[in-house]
Amino acid sequence: MTTEYALRMGDGKRVFLAKEQIMADLREGSADAADLADVPALSDDELEKIAEIMMTPSRMVGVEPGKEVPVTHDIGTIRIDGDQGNSGVGIPSSRLIGSMMHERAFGADTMELGHIDYSFKPVKPVIAQEMQTMEVCQQNMIVPLLYGAMPNMGLYYTPDGPFENPGDLMKAFKIREAQESMEHAAGHLTRDTVWIMQRLMASGADGVNFDTVGAAGDGDMYASLHAVESLRKQYPEMYIEVGMAGELLLGMHGELEYDGTVLAGLWPHQQVTLAAKAGANVFGPVVNTNTSKTSPWNLGRAVTFVKAAVKASPIPCHVNMGMGVGGIPMFETPTIDAVSRASKAMVEVAGVDGI
Amino acid sequence: MSNEEMFKELSDAIVSCKKDAVIATVEKARDEGIPPAEIIEKGLAAGMNEVGVLFERGKLFLPHVMMAAGAMEAGVALLEKDMPKDVASKKLGIIVNGTVEGDVHDIGKSIVSTMLQSAGFEVHDIGRDVPLQDFIDKAKETSANMIGMSALMTTTLPGQKDVIEMLKEQGMRDNVKVMVGGAPATEAWATKIGADCYAENASEAVAKAKELLL
Repeated sequence: MTTEYALRMGDGKRVFLAKEQIMADLREGSADAADLADVPALSDDELEKIAEIMMTPSRMVGVEPGKEVPVTHDIGTIRIDGDQGNSGVGIPSSRLIGSMMHERAFGADTMELGHIDYSFKPVKPVIAQEMQTMEVCQQNMIVPLLYGAMPNMGLYYTPDGPFENPGDLMKAFKIREAQESMEHAAGHLTRDTVWIMQRLMASGADGVNFDTVGAAGDGDMYASLHAVESLRKQYPEMYIEVGMAGELLLGMHGELEYDGTVLAGLWPHQQVTLAAKAGANVFGPVVNTNTSKTSPWNLGRAVTFVKAAVKASPIPCHVNMGMGVGGIPMFETPTIDAVSRASKAMVEVAGVDGI
Repeated sequence: MSNEEMFKELSDAIVSCKKDAVIATVEKARDEGIPPAEIIEKGLAAGMNEVGVLFERGKLFLPHVMMAAGAMEAGVALLEKDMPKDVASKKLGIIVNGTVEGDVHDIGKSIVSTMLQSAGFEVHDIGRDVPLQDFIDKAKETSANMIGMSALMTTTLPGQKDVIEMLKEQGMRDNVKVMVGGAPATEAWATKIGADCYAENASEAVAKAKELLL
């Protein structure tokens, strides 16, 4: 009788697969990434290595001794006291306690301070509180503490912001007007981000984490890269992390360029070179999980994209691993079997510098 | 030139996203005596399908999709006088699309609306953070064949289920298909709540809408 291994679908559901099926799905996922991004597919040895990781009988796995990498957390500061009905455990505490617990109890190598809305724009009206909290956290902590938020350019469009919604304009075939709206929004996003970070740096921040860059398309990336560039000029020693929203940079505008490169349609190995050029220290590649495919398919695909990004990158790559990204199932609380297997594969096969 | 070559030329003109090229090629095809319905179906619509594939692969972007859709509209308009009126104005289906109440995410849903519209559906995008009853009311008002619902948060996802229950309570469920999507939605979720389909992305939304409505 063929041995079957308990794995996951992309939505977290249990699935039992024989080694032949695991290898076939890994190969197919890798080929999909290679085809889309025009990068090399994983070798047979690499596929075999991931299959071995996936077939390990233990419930959770870890990297081999000597291959440990730094691990950091976004928004972990509010994951202790926050309970939004999904992530967060709702234990009455504070952001300082959340940060210190991650540092001293959970072994996080760096942390970030973030606020509950987690976008840059809404930081403006509460900047004084963010500055005060940053200062207090810095006085109590040792690990690097960044400030983290999402560029989230959608907040600059109606009904949340001053500029007409490009989605509505596009549907009305007002293409140029939609592009202009994105250009205006990008200008404001860059300005706001720099303004906010100037104040947080004055409060002792070690740097900034741009989280989910490109969520609103190429304009979002355009604004973020310009903010990175400006901050790097002002703060040569500042720690800047650029983490993406997805594997493909969506072309909402389609024609925006950074340093002569059209942003729309960039894949992780192309995104990272621009992030580094702008002045980032660390790049966070993201690969989305397909919920209808198996975990071997998703992991084969994710490792292929990320390995190419690591190879192309002049700066460390700290891959985004969590709910619905990095080959991990789209599940409220991703299971430890899937998380630990995907993380080990990212370190030992893709060669990431951190998670 | 064979009909197949002509269809290829029409399709290529759509992929070029240039209205002038599409109009010129449609006129050429019409002069060669190709029936308008075939020009549309085998030439222009085939080109739009190719545009959808290129969008999914990151080779074409949203403005291009809209330019191609605009060019297709211009091409179809040229042929309208040669076609029976009901055929010329016929849409693939009517879809009400929105993000459910409590959820302000807009961009993914808007891309889906744009792609559905480009593919030939009549789309009523009712926005984001939409009160659940509004999906029902808009579907009634427009005689929609399908309701599309997006949710980007696990906390708002149950709104999709509630709308399906409301459709049942109001005796509309048998006449309206339901598509769900958004980051936390999955095939299993769609099955669990009794939706007709789940779409992973905008291109899949178009393919599944065609499967269900055509």
